[in-house]
Amino acid sequence: MSTLTSGFNKYKSKLQNSKGIKGGWDIPLILMMLPTIVLLAVVSIYPFMWLLKYVFYDYNGFKTYFIGLDNFKRVFTNDPIYWKSVVHTFEYAFLKLLFTMPISLMVAVVLNHHLKGKNLFRIIFFIPTVISAAVYSLIFYFIYSPYNGILNNMLMEWGWITAPIDWLGSSAIAMSSVVIVAIWGGFGNYMILFLAGLQSISQEVYESADIDGASKVQSFFQITIPMLGPILKVVLLLAITTALKDYQSIMVLTGGGPLDRTQVMFLYVYQLMFGNENSAAGQLQIGYGATVGLVSSIIIGIATAVFLKLSKKLDNIY
Amino acid sequence: MMMEKLKERKASKLIGYGIIYTCLIILTLFTIYPILYVVFGSFKTNQELVLGGSNLLPTQFNFSNYIEAWKLANFGRYTLNSVFLSTMVMLGILIVSSMAGYCMARRDFFGKEFLYGLLISFMFINIGSVSLRPLFELAVKINLHKSLWGVILICIGMGQATNIFLVRGYMASVPKELDEAAAIDGCGFFQTFYIIILPVLKPILATVALLSFRGAWNEYILAQVFTMSNPAMRPLTAGVIALKSTGDGAAAWNIMFAGSAMSIIPILVIYLLASKYFMTGLTEGAVKG
Repeated sequence: MSTLTSGFNKYKSKLQNSKGIKGGWDIPLILMMLPTIVLLAVVSIYPFMWLLKYVFYDYNGFKTYFIGLDNFKRVFTNDPIYWKSVVHTFEYAFLKLLFTMPISLMVAVVLNHHLKGKNLFRIIFFIPTVISAAVYSLIFYFIYSPYNGILNNMLMEWGWITAPIDWLGSSAIAMSSVVIVAIWGGFGNYMILFLAGLQSISQEVYESADIDGASKVQSFFQITIPMLGPILKVVLLLAITTALKDYQSIMVLTGGGPLDRTQVMFLYVYQLMFGNENSAAGQLQIGYGATVGLVSSIIIGIATAVFLKLSKKLDNIY
Repeated sequence: MMMEKLKERKASKLIGYGIIYTCLIILTLFTIYPILYVVFGSFKTNQELVLGGSNLLPTQFNFSNYIEAWKLANFGRYTLNSVFLSTMVMLGILIVSSMAGYCMARRDFFGKEFLYGLLISFMFINIGSVSLRPLFELAVKINLHKSLWGVILICIGMGQATNIFLVRGYMASVPKELDEAAAIDGCGFFQTFYIIILPVLKPILATVALLSFRGAWNEYILAQVFTMSNPAMRPLTAGVIALKSTGDGAAAWNIMFAGSAMSIIPILVIYLLASKYFMTGLTEGAVKG
């Protein structure tokens, strides 16, 4: 017994000692936190510092020249392609959310009821989330292919169209084609988040509404939506920020084309920093890419802040 | 009167279910069609693929695309690279996030809140494709770009925050008495973690393992940038998409179909076996975190 208490006291005093001396850091703690701190410094903080430096430089991968604020001047006064890409980014994000959010919410509400096969549906709808965005975009690239792709061949066989449609190559519909892929890849993800939110609403509320004679539609708008408020806010925030920084799928599908019709902010940055298929290594504009990247992050930051301000209401309802 | 109303209600309920199921089935077809298309397509001959047509199923199943991809197009190597990359990232994230999650849940130390804030803010600071360049140049400087280790370390670093929060959140449900009992028995801080806490963390570590494995398996841009001048190091994602931009586009459709199938089937099988963990990982991370 005495050994027990003395052991415990030793542990306690050790804790107190270590707290007093080095702010709680002792050797085991340092060793266990070290990987996280080093990785954070190298993978997150270092690139950020690098960015803050190179926005003032002209850098092509080999030589650097200090050019002051010229990069910023160019972004704000002399780069129509970039501002086009900003508009496209918001267009893409808006269209993606316009379809994914209602679909995911509706499916989640339906699958939250006692429905035969609901687990199977859940598992199926989540499938796109587990496979690589790059690879499913490649699959859609095949499907959309004007002459060999299955989509045109099917539509022609059914007689819906008479000539093949260039889904990714025509500037009138390329954006829609890209958004369809984004919807395919995204709705299952948000469905699961909504389902988690719905499960936190107690069934009793619905039962009492049912007794009071509320229809399913009424209880959806009067109970589900308001009670989901806070979660709706989190999901929307996630969806907006994700959609604004998407570029992987577009890179595989169109590479930003045709004629920059599907060019988005971070794809543009990527192409400035690593080149696209047609440019040689010497044409890289890395310093300018860093500047465009910084401006783009700030734009996303502002969009997020505006959303948070507008969505304050969602918090107060419940 | 009453009966009629009840009947009416029943009928409208039936119609409602009909509509719901129709919508769900349409959505199901939309979801699985591209996957079926590429999986069945990978058994078609290149001639059949290039001719197009509206058939989902191949006229006859032949495995030659896989053999050709595996042997001639280097996909055997790509598969090994993918397995190596994903396993290492998974192990790395397991080690790093379980240790940090445990420390941050159980100890008070100077700078903890600051560190916590940094981890969160860098989850939200979106410099997107910008950070690829400095990390690539850094890797070249210290000679990490010739193997997959650069990609592995960056994947661990980019994935650690979410997983630390998952572990830390789970630790809140582990009673502190467990640590104290271990301390009384003479366990040190690390020993307590290794012997007592790790086994308790199993359920959340399963989620962390699956999520990080999936993340690394599906990683494309990072892998693509790091293997640009070193094609032999490509994982499956980068390998198959690189074929798209090489000159012989249409000539390689069969290889690309087989390659895409090779890239999605393993992760799909893992998902179907453990779908629960994938979904809880998502919701715990987002809604609570």
